[in-house]
Amino acid sequence: MTNDGQEEPTAMVFEVLKAAIIDGSAARLGRMALAGRRSVDTPNYLAVTSRGVVPHMTPDNVGKHLHSAGVYMALEDFIERPQQYSKRPTPIYDTPTSQGRRPLHSFTAMPPEFMTVLGARRIPAVLSPMGNSNASISIFTSTGYQVLTTKEYQTAVETLRPDIAIPLADLTHGPITPTSKRALRMAERTDEWLKNWFAAEDASADELRQRDVAIFAPVLPVSYSIQWEYLERLSEDLSTRIAGLAVYDPDVLPDLLSDYANLAALPRLSVSAPTTPHHILRQISLGLDAFILPFVNLVSDAGIAMTFTFPPSPTATPSLLPLGVDLSSPSYKTSLAPPSPGCTCYACTAHHAAYIHHLLAAREMLGWTLLQTHNHAVVAAFFASVRAALAQGEVAFEDAARQFALRYEPEFPAGTGERPRARGYQFKGEAGGEVKPKLNKPAWGKLDGEDGGLGLTRVRAKKEVAPAVAVAAAAAVADKVVESAVEGGGRLETPPCPG
Amino acid sequence: MLARRMASTMSASSAALTFELVAKCSTTRARASIMTLPHGPVNLPLFMPVATQASLKGLTPEQLENTGCRLCLNNTYHLGLKPGQEVLDAVGGAHKFQGWNHNILTDSGGFQMVSLLKLATVTEEGVRFLSPHDGTPMLLTPEHSISLQNSIGSDIIMQLDDVLVTTSPDKERMREAMLRSVRWLDRCIAAHKNPDRQNLFCIIQGGLDLEMRRECCAEMVARDTPGIAVGGLSGGEAKDDFCRVVGACTQLLPELKPRYVMGIGYPEDLVVCVALGADMFDCVWPTRTARFGNAITKFGVLNLKREMYAADFGPIEKGCGCPCCRPVEEEGSMGITRAFVHHNAAKETVAAHLLTLHNVWYQLNLMREAREAIIGDRFPAFIRAFFSQLYPDRQSYPSWAVDALRTVGVDLIET
Ligand SMILES: [Zn+2]
Ligand SMILES: [Zn+2]
Repeated sequence: MTNDGQEEPTAMVFEVLKAAIIDGSAARLGRMALAGRRSVDTPNYLAVTSRGVVPHMTPDNVGKHLHSAGVYMALEDFIERPQQYSKRPTPIYDTPTSQGRRPLHSFTAMPPEFMTVLGARRIPAVLSPMGNSNASISIFTSTGYQVLTTKEYQTAVETLRPDIAIPLADLTHGPITPTSKRALRMAERTDEWLKNWFAAEDASADELRQRDVAIFAPVLPVSYSIQWEYLERLSEDLSTRIAGLAVYDPDVLPDLLSDYANLAALPRLSVSAPTTPHHILRQISLGLDAFILPFVNLVSDAGIAMTFTFPPSPTATPSLLPLGVDLSSPSYKTSLAPPSPGCTCYACTAHHAAYIHHLLAAREMLGWTLLQTHNHAVVAAFFASVRAALAQGEVAFEDAARQFALRYEPEFPAGTGERPRARGYQFKGEAGGEVKPKLNKPAWGKLDGEDGGLGLTRVRAKKEVAPAVAVAAAAAVADKVVESAVEGGGRLETPPCPG
Repeated sequence: MLARRMASTMSASSAALTFELVAKCSTTRARASIMTLPHGPVNLPLFMPVATQASLKGLTPEQLENTGCRLCLNNTYHLGLKPGQEVLDAVGGAHKFQGWNHNILTDSGGFQMVSLLKLATVTEEGVRFLSPHDGTPMLLTPEHSISLQNSIGSDIIMQLDDVLVTTSPDKERMREAMLRSVRWLDRCIAAHKNPDRQNLFCIIQGGLDLEMRRECCAEMVARDTPGIAVGGLSGGEAKDDFCRVVGACTQLLPELKPRYVMGIGYPEDLVVCVALGADMFDCVWPTRTARFGNAITKFGVLNLKREMYAADFGPIEKGCGCPCCRPVEEEGSMGITRAFVHHNAAKETVAAHLLTLHNVWYQLNLMREAREAIIGDRFPAFIRAFFSQLYPDRQSYPSWAVDALRTVGVDLIET
C-alpha cells in the first residue's frame, strides 16, 4: 500500500449536513454511513457494552428496543487468560466468519444494524498499577491485570473487524493530571504507535481486510500545546488514513479545529465519558458528533428512570427539575403511571412504575432490564431532539441548551435501591456501586513518577491476598480511596487492606 | 392403528374453565386437550414456567410470550410479602401488575411456608409461622390464602393443603394431613370470592400410600373443582413410588378435567407423567439451572461454564427453534453460540437470560411435540426417540422410567 497521500477508500462515509456558522458554537449535524449498518444521524450516541453485551439486555431486546447508533466494546473484556487455561488460544479470535458477519459482531450476537466501536479498554477504565511501556499498555481483564502489546491489539482489530477501531493511546486513566513530562511522552508514544499502525498495515498482505475497519485516531487528554506535534502528523501524513477522531478531551477541539481544516472534516467521537446531558450539550457545542456514554448503564443500575427532555417542557414551577426519578422510592409502590410519562419505549408502554419498583425491591433482574430499555430510549430521544433543534439552526439549539441548563438539576439523583451484584471486572465501571456523575471534567493522569509509585506498592501488597477477584476488589477500593482523596482536597490516605 | 381423535363433544365446562379432550394415545394414558381459561386457551400437556416474584428471571413478558407460554406461575407466598396484598388490590391484580395478558396460576403459599420456613407448624386452623420480616407469629389459614389469591386474580388458584414430605414414616400424621387437606378444601371453596373468573383446584394428598391417595381422590373429586392437582410429591421420594402415586391418581380422576402434577420439571419426569395421564406441570428447575450456566437439551444437560465450550461456536442446541439457537439466517434468530454463553456465564446477567429463554423454550417445546405425537397417535415412538437421544444406550435408561412406562404399555427395552 502506498503512503503518498492518495485517497484511500475507507469503510465509513461521514457527511456534514449542517455546520454552525455563529461564534461560540461548533455544533453540527452529520450522517455516518457504514456498509451493512443502519446509517446514523449525528449528534448521536453509542451504548457501552460489558463483555460484549449491553448490560441486562439480550441481543433480541437490543435489536427491538435499543435505538443507539451502535455499541462500544473493549478488547480487555474478551481476552482474559484464566489461570488454569493460561495457554489456551483466546476463543474470540477463532470466531468463524459466517454469512459475511464480522467476527466481533458474530461473537457477541450483536444485531447487524448496530455499528461496533472497539477500543482496548473499558470506559471508564480501571487504573492499572503497572503502567504502559514503549510497546504495550496494561489492561484489566476479568482474571486480573494483563499486558496488551500494540502488535496484539492491531492483530485483534484485524481479526475481529469492528466497524470502527480506536488505536492504542498512551493513557494513564488516573484521576490526576499528568506532569508535563509524562504528558509529552503520552503524545510521543501515541504518535509512534499510530505511525507504526499504518506502517504495519502497509506491510500487510491483506490490505482489503484492513481497510474495512474505520480508524478513529485518539486525541489525547493533554493540553493542545503538548500534543500539537502528534496532531500535526495526523493532519499532514495520516488524514487520509484515519476515518475519525476519538476525543479524550473535548477542550482540545477548538484549537484543533481552527488549525487543521482537513481534520475538521472527520467525525469526532467523544470518549471522555460525559456524565450528564449537561456535559453532552456542552460537548456538542464544542463540535463532538458521537458519544460513548457509560452513565446510561450506571443510572439504570441505580434504579433511576431518566425523565429529561430536550428542550425542557415549559413548566410553572420555579424549582429545578430532576434528571431522573428514583423508582426505589416507596412513593411508586402503587403508581400505574409509566416510569416517565410521555415516553414511548417498551418499558413505559407495557409496564408501570409500580412494577419496576417491585422488581427493584425484590432484586428481580427484569427491573434493570426495563430501566435499561427506558433510559436508553430517553437518551436516544434526547439526541433526536438535539438534531431537530440543530436542523432549525445553531441559534435554536444553543437557546434550547441554555434552557436545559437552567431547567434541570446538575446531576442524576443517587438512587436508594440496591444495585445488581457487581463482578470484579465491573468494579471501576460501577464506581463502587454508586452513580456519582460529576460536573467537573474527568481528570486524566497518574499519581507520580513512572505510572504511579503508589500503584506498584499496592499491587505488591495485593499479591499476598492473591486471587483475581481480591485483586480486583483491592483495585476498586484503592481507586475509590484515590478518588475521594482527590475530591477531598488531594490528601491521599493509605488504602485500606483488602484482606 | 387408528388415532383416537375425540369428537368435539368430549368437553366439560365450569364457570371459568372449559376442558376439551382432543385426542388420547391408543397405547398409554396420554391425552391431548385444550383448556380454556379466562385469559385464553392453553394446549395440554403443558409445562408452566415459574415467575416466582411476578417476573421470569430477567425475561420480559414480551419475551416469555414469544416462547409460546400462555400460562405461567406466580408464588402467592412471595407476592404476599412483595408487593403485598394492598398493592395488588390497588393495582388491580397480578396480570395488570406484571403486564401479562395471558394466564397465571398461583400456589396456595402453604408449600413455600413449610419448605422455606423451618419453624412453620400446622394446626387445624392453618399454618403458623414466624414472619420473615420481624419474627412475629403469623397464621396462614385457607381463608387467608384464598383471599390473597383472589387479590392476585390468577386464573387458577390452589387450595391450601397440609403438606407433609411423602417420605414421612408417620402414617397417622399422613392420614391426618390428607383428611385435613380435604377439610381445608371445603373452607377454600367457601372462602373463594371469584369462582366465575378464577378456578380453584384441589390437591390430592396421601403420601406414598396408594389406598390413602385413592381415598383422597374420591373425597376431592366429589367436591367437583374445575381441575385437580396431585400434590406432596417431588419431595425426595423414590422415582418408582412417585410414578405409582401419579399412575394411581390419574386412573381415578375424571377424564374431562385437567390433571396437574405439582413441582415436576425434569424432561424424563414430564414425558413419563404425560404417559401416565397427567396434563400440567411446573418447576423452578429449568430457570434456576439456567443461572448456573446449564442448558437443557435433548441430549442432556450441558454446563456451558465448562472450559470445553469456550471456543464452541455451535448453537446452544442444534435444531432448537428458540430465539437463541435457530439458524442466524432465520427471522428472529439471535445467533447465540455456546462460546458466547460461556464467555458471560456467571459474569453478565444476559447469559442467564439467554439460557432461561432456551430452557423455557425447551420445556414448552417438549410438551408441544408430545402433544403432536399424541394427536398423531405416535406417542410411544416419541417416548422411545426421547429416551434414545437422552441416553447412550438402553442399558442406561433409568429403571423407574422403564418400569413406569411398562405399566402403560410401552417397553423401552424390548421393542
Ligand atoms: Zn420509557
Ligand atoms: Zn435454544
